[in-house]
Amino acid sequence: MSEPILIVDDEEGVREMLALLLSDSGFRVFTAENGKQALQIIGDYRPQIVICDIKMPGMNGIELLRRIKTEAPDTEIITMSGHGDMELAIQSLIFEAADFITKPVNGEALEIALERVHEKIRTRAALKEYTRNLERLVKEKSERLLETEKLATQRYQQLAQKFEQLFDEVPCYISVHDTDYRLTAVNRRFKEDFGDCTGSRCFEAYKNLREPCPECPVMKTFKDGQPHYSEEILISKSFEQLNVLTWTTPIRDPDGEITQVMSMSHDVTKVRKLQNHLSSLGLLIGTISHAVKGLLTGLDGGMYMVNSGFTKADRQLVSEGWDTVTLVVGRLRKLIMDILYYAKERELEWEEAPVLRFSEEVASTIEFKLAAQKIEFERDFDQSSGTLELDLSLVHSALMNIFENAIETCIEDKSKTAHRIIFRVEGDQDSVFFHVRDNGVGMDTETKQKLFTMFFSSKGQKGTGLGLFVSNQVIRQHGGTINVQSEPGEGSCFTIRLPRSRKWASKDHL
Amino acid sequence: MAKKIMVVDDDPVIVKYIVALFRDNGYLTCAASNGLEAYEMLKQEKPDLITLDLEMSEEWGPKFYRRLSKEEEFKDIPVVVVSGLAGRHLSIRKAVAYLGKPFEPAELLDIVKKTLGA
Repeated sequence: MSEPILIVDDEEGVREMLALLLSDSGFRVFTAENGKQALQIIGDYRPQIVICDIKMPGMNGIELLRRIKTEAPDTEIITMSGHGDMELAIQSLIFEAADFITKPVNGEALEIALERVHEKIRTRAALKEYTRNLERLVKEKSERLLETEKLATQRYQQLAQKFEQLFDEVPCYISVHDTDYRLTAVNRRFKEDFGDCTGSRCFEAYKNLREPCPECPVMKTFKDGQPHYSEEILISKSFEQLNVLTWTTPIRDPDGEITQVMSMSHDVTKVRKLQNHLSSLGLLIGTISHAVKGLLTGLDGGMYMVNSGFTKADRQLVSEGWDTVTLVVGRLRKLIMDILYYAKERELEWEEAPVLRFSEEVASTIEFKLAAQKIEFERDFDQSSGTLELDLSLVHSALMNIFENAIETCIEDKSKTAHRIIFRVEGDQDSVFFHVRDNGVGMDTETKQKLFTMFFSSKGQKGTGLGLFVSNQVIRQHGGTINVQSEPGEGSCFTIRLPRSRKWASKDHL
Repeated sequence: MAKKIMVVDDDPVIVKYIVALFRDNGYLTCAASNGLEAYEMLKQEKPDLITLDLEMSEEWGPKFYRRLSKEEEFKDIPVVVVSGLAGRHLSIRKAVAYLGKPFEPAELLDIVKKTLGA
């Protein structure tokens, strides 16, 4: 279909002449004799080009130009005017006329003007197409981007959810610490047993301490970026002691800086209790083996006499021998029953004893052990140290373990020629203190800390790592404490404090 | 003349056993239940050999032995340690033998016989 074009002029002759020309050029020509009519036609037929006289009665050309540009901005307008009206021509160009021709209209000039307008329309169409394409492209890309982002968010959420689930569901305690020992996150298991202590400092939250623990594995990880492992004792919100194995691992920011440290702790309290029980049994076997040997010898004696009596037909001897057998079997029975009872549960056998006499007994056992060693032994007993309530045989064994440790360190120490162990006993109103001081090899900090840990031994093949652990358990069961002061090369001093009364005893044994 | 053996142990059952064992094999015997008693008995009876337990209530075997070894008259009396202690071989250096508990009676008799030469 041919291109519509509108001619606006108040002179009929001009309209006819132009209509003729433009029809020849293949346009579908509309004409209007004033602005109002022109706007009507533009509204109905949307011609792309309007040729318009400027000087018209009523709405003049400039006015019409402005209205067309407002109502149909894509319409291109060529204005016409008589010779010398340059002022009007410029004004019409200011108001975005596409071109300007003079009257009377020269066919050639009109053709050129029309060609230029067409060029402008084509350019604009191309620009429009290009813009549209660009818009489509942008829209497509943003849609794809949005889709990707949505997917990513979804996956991130899934991942985060999975992590959180893992964080909460793992059967161990997880806490995240900042450089100031503060907890920034804890998992559900942790909250269950220690409460939600996010924001508080770890040593206060679950260690009941006023200052950081020495050898803190979290701080070690902050320092060297390596995972660290340690065994710790934590205090739950119901004031239970929990033995845990702790691993720490660094959390780094995108720049590789360690900003936080994650600590994972596994509860081994049950395992420790079981080990406890086993080792107490081991201790028991150690202390009773001597008794068993004596009793077996006694049994040999009884049997020997019975045999001898039969051989000599001596009824008296048989009877005497049998009495011995009966006596010894009775003792063996009691011992075995004790072991069986112990294997189930061990209650302390409390008795009240004079501190001095108990100390003398311990000292004489030690003197015997020292007989073959070149180690001097010194007693320093407070003569008015009163009495205390204790399980004699257990505390005796516990002290023996500490003395044996002292003897070992003296034997091991080749740097001094003279060795000495001092056993000092003193008391105050509530407690009795046993000090065992040696000048053996001494201990470094780490050894000191692990000293009372099950199966820790600095003695290599010679140690089982049970002795001091058991001593510590026994003393704690009595409500007492063991402290150690030691310097490498200087020797050690163990101080055992026992309350005088059993009312301080710990109920938490095995 | 029969040789005399002093048995030192704080368990009367074991004393009775060892004494019976020696008597049945032709030895004279005397006995003590701790180091102090043993020292008195030593001066009175002047035994030819001593079996000595280590862990006893009043005075321990090693202490008794130190006293004994300081006296010219007694220091050469052979001592056989009979004890259940694991470190018994470290206790008395000059002992002629160390026997654990429970011990084999034939082994004890054999040691005594070789030591006393009869």
